[in-house]
Amino acid sequence: MSDLETQKRPSVFARKDVKQTVYLWVIFTAIIGYVSATVQARSMGASASETMSTTIHMIRVFTWVVAPVAGLIAAMAATTLIAKMHFGDTPPDEADHQIRNSPRATSTWLIVSSLLCLFAVVWGTIVLQRDNAAILDPAAMNVNVTGQQWVWNFDYVDNGTVRSADLYLPVNKPVVFHVTSKDVIHSFWIVQMGIKIDANPGYVTETSVTPNKIGIFDIRCAELCGLYHAFMQTKVHVVSQADYAAWIKSQGGQA
Amino acid sequence: MTTMMDRPASTPGHSAPKKALIERLNIFTAFGLGIIGAIVFWYLAKAILPANTDGSYIKSNRDQYVLLAMIGWLIGFMTGIGALVGPFRWLLGKDLSHEENLFYAGKDQGVKRYFRYTTDHKVVGIQYLVTTMVVFFVGGVLAMLIRTNLGHAGGGWLQPQTYNAIVGMHGIIMIVATIIMVTGPFGNFIMPIMIGARDMAFPRLNALSLWLIIAAIPCILSSIFLGGIPTGWVAYNPLASQGPPGQDGYIMFICIFALSTMVAGANITTTVIKMRAKGMTWNRTPIFIYGVVASVALALPAFPFFFLSQVLSAMDRATGSTFYDTRGGGSGWLYENLFWIMGHPEVYVILIPAVAALMEMAPVFTRRPLFSFNMAIMGIAGISGLSVLVWAHHMYTTGWAPLLNGPFMLTTELISIPTGLLFLVLIGTLWRGRLWMTMPTASIYALLWNFMIGGVTGIYLSDVPIDGALHGSMFVTAHFHYTLMGAGLTGAIASLVYWFPKMTGRMFDKTLSWIGFWFVQIGFNIAFIGMFLVGLAGQPRRVGSYAALFDRGNMITTGGAYLIMSGMLVLLYGVISSWTHGAKAPMNPWFAKTLEWSVPNPVPLENFDVLPVVTSDAYGYGKAQS
Amino acid sequence: MSVETHGHVNPHHEHPDVVGSRNRLGLILLLVADIAFALGVIFVYFYLKGQNVNDMWLPKASDTQDATVPVSSMGAWYVTIIAAVGLLFHQYALAGVKVKNQTQLVLGSGLAFVASLAALIYQGILMNNVSFTITMGAYASCYYLIAGLNVVHLFLTSFISLGNWNRSRLGLYVSDHWHVRIVSVWWIWMTISSLLGAFALSFT
Repeated sequence: MSDLETQKRPSVFARKDVKQTVYLWVIFTAIIGYVSATVQARSMGASASETMSTTIHMIRVFTWVVAPVAGLIAAMAATTLIAKMHFGDTPPDEADHQIRNSPRATSTWLIVSSLLCLFAVVWGTIVLQRDNAAILDPAAMNVNVTGQQWVWNFDYVDNGTVRSADLYLPVNKPVVFHVTSKDVIHSFWIVQMGIKIDANPGYVTETSVTPNKIGIFDIRCAELCGLYHAFMQTKVHVVSQADYAAWIKSQGGQA
Repeated sequence: MTTMMDRPASTPGHSAPKKALIERLNIFTAFGLGIIGAIVFWYLAKAILPANTDGSYIKSNRDQYVLLAMIGWLIGFMTGIGALVGPFRWLLGKDLSHEENLFYAGKDQGVKRYFRYTTDHKVVGIQYLVTTMVVFFVGGVLAMLIRTNLGHAGGGWLQPQTYNAIVGMHGIIMIVATIIMVTGPFGNFIMPIMIGARDMAFPRLNALSLWLIIAAIPCILSSIFLGGIPTGWVAYNPLASQGPPGQDGYIMFICIFALSTMVAGANITTTVIKMRAKGMTWNRTPIFIYGVVASVALALPAFPFFFLSQVLSAMDRATGSTFYDTRGGGSGWLYENLFWIMGHPEVYVILIPAVAALMEMAPVFTRRPLFSFNMAIMGIAGISGLSVLVWAHHMYTTGWAPLLNGPFMLTTELISIPTGLLFLVLIGTLWRGRLWMTMPTASIYALLWNFMIGGVTGIYLSDVPIDGALHGSMFVTAHFHYTLMGAGLTGAIASLVYWFPKMTGRMFDKTLSWIGFWFVQIGFNIAFIGMFLVGLAGQPRRVGSYAALFDRGNMITTGGAYLIMSGMLVLLYGVISSWTHGAKAPMNPWFAKTLEWSVPNPVPLENFDVLPVVTSDAYGYGKAQS
Repeated sequence: MSVETHGHVNPHHEHPDVVGSRNRLGLILLLVADIAFALGVIFVYFYLKGQNVNDMWLPKASDTQDATVPVSSMGAWYVTIIAAVGLLFHQYALAGVKVKNQTQLVLGSGLAFVASLAALIYQGILMNNVSFTITMGAYASCYYLIAGLNVVHLFLTSFISLGNWNRSRLGLYVSDHWHVRIVSVWWIWMTISSLLGAFALSFT
């Protein structure tokens, strides 16, 4: 059947504008995918946890998955722009066709966009389940985080009554944060570890992470919380297990 | 409820003394009575209400006075403009006579009719247009203050209190401006003509919706003098309950605005369902009409939740109830839920009519039929339907219900399918057309570009783990500016240029429209790509100063913002100069086939001498293939 | 899009049925918003009840006051019953206007107005006589919210039914009576909304 059709009218791909679009599509896809994936990953900087690495990876992959779609639209748009353009106060000639629909194009479009959507949902759910499971990890250490206008306080509940304003964490040990607030809603955000959870008055919320890099990273408040919201930030010091134990001792807790 | 009882005026007129009253009411009596009402309520409240001694957590007399004064303002203003005449005449059984209805429609009143409770949909459309531009101007000035303050790290010359107040004001003012920017001016002026109707279904409700917005604007502007809105546009509680009395201005603004959208929504939807011309079946109805109806119909169930959230805020502040105060058994998550149940449909309320307007223009400027009309409708319907099921994606990181994050991620990402259909329709219509390059044509390309970026970043954010990293950062701010401004406002400005000849009788200056277009689009992309970058690097939203590492990105953004401002000023000048002495427009300058181009300039009072009968859809462009 | 000339239609003399059905749709769309609002109120009630943050749903005992038991929801049910009676009166009036019985119309709409006023006053008395104040926790706040919604609805109902009675009295419904039918739609919803409130208050 398809043979018969191709004999009747020349293949779509023989048309000049279609050919042009296909070439542009390939080029645009490559450029869009490469440039935006690279720029975004670079902007996000170094990661200090598996969670953040996964996030950067996901953005990279999503970008590459979407690039062909964006590339196709850009290529089609470019092709229409390259063709003869008409400026002026009266309209150009009418187009040489009256095509109102193309079942093939629309169904292809619907199927492809559904598949892309399905991919995003499935993958997102898998990663989400992993992150959620981490909160239940019995081996994890617990830190109570309390936000108030405009400071963070950290209680190391596994180590007696140690409290600090800078967060100290041992490297490669899972930690669960139990977050609450004394006044308004804050949001506890460890930037380089890619985790964030709101600190709500009257509630305790939980999130977890495993720092995998020694260093000093940023904690910022991510929910407008009043006058000095911009200054409600502190540091997290990720140190070796031994240094962490020493620090706890120096604060009067038991490691 | 009673204002809609708009009887055909066949009852014998008993008009003479009353007519004198409605002739005397105008914007000046409205402002006069409004101010008197505010003062009277203020002093009454002061005299009657007991001092706050019952030890409740947050209640304050100050808020009681301010809220009551604003209610007094509203009552006085609506009385002064004449909104209550209709309901009370109905109550008394003295319906408006034919002559009075004509007077209300603004017959033979020249410029004066723009300052009255005029029911003619074309007058309301122009009033909406001017109101929208004024509101955009205020929001734009605030935006420039924000960007100037953020020019470079540590260089903030605004105090944190001032900065926070400005951010909140900019946010809510722009949200309201973008909500009304298409359905207000064009939904009112163009839509009834486009469907071949003589006016809206309920002309007095139409005037009511406009004058409610005018009454609401002083409430939000008064916030400037009452401490501002230092809570962002979302005004989360319990932060908002700490806020200054400026927060009461926000509350009243939202409540009045929600009423306005409610009456406008019922009115526009009824008009389209009941008053389309003979022969205009649903598959002959222009796509712009679908966009407008989807937008206002979506607002109907959505905005009451916003209204409710603010009623509870007001009760907390003024009566000491504890809806949001956890010490009294309230919950901040309650506010967030109520707010976002409205908040997510609302972004589509903004976006859909703007995209639909560009879909309406696409066939005109490509001289070919709209590609896949059915898919366009499915896209609009799909977005509208799904949009009420996605609100909690704004709350992934609040911790209110971690188990629901998965389902909400599913519904959110499903929206990408109908949204994709909008792209398909637009690009399909551009494909193999004869491009007529005008500013609206270029806007279609700009929308594809901006909306692609806005949409794709939306997919990132809909993903829960990625949202964990990016939520509350400048990335989100850049994302929604790409959708609301890059897509929405671009569509609205294109609509202005496209329908300007019909609304004003003059052509929009071509050169100025192009200069404005390029400045705005280039500036916009510079500004918000810069904002994406600082967001990815970890700059939180709504901060007045930031770490040195965000310096470069913010400088780029501020530079882009100044370009946008230049472009907007050029466009504003274009509107004023073209309106006053632009070239006279022919009846149908774009050689388009929708009905609004079949009526003369200026459009006569009742639009059509003879009501049209429609025999085909409006997209019959192109030569039939042999 | 083709335009043909056609017979002249005078817009000021549209058929009452056309105007009536248009107004009816308009009211129903406005009701969509009001229904959303009322459902929002019910959501607030059950959300806060379910959360019971800090165990502060019901008013707690303090030094100066005993622990308050929530008021019985019977009062709210009585308001609903009065509203329902008003609805029945209005239906009676509607039945009257359909058979062009002017006496029945005036009597029914007059009684409906009295019922709406009675419900309004009774609701006011209830609010003044509860054993707690609005500041005493989430339940108390929600109680006033639901009562407040009733007051607003009943106030509007009083206004509408007063107008309806007045217009019946003046004989404005002789030729066409779509006003009465639309008012009945409003009455039905108002009664349901009051019922929803009473239903919610039955769960403390």
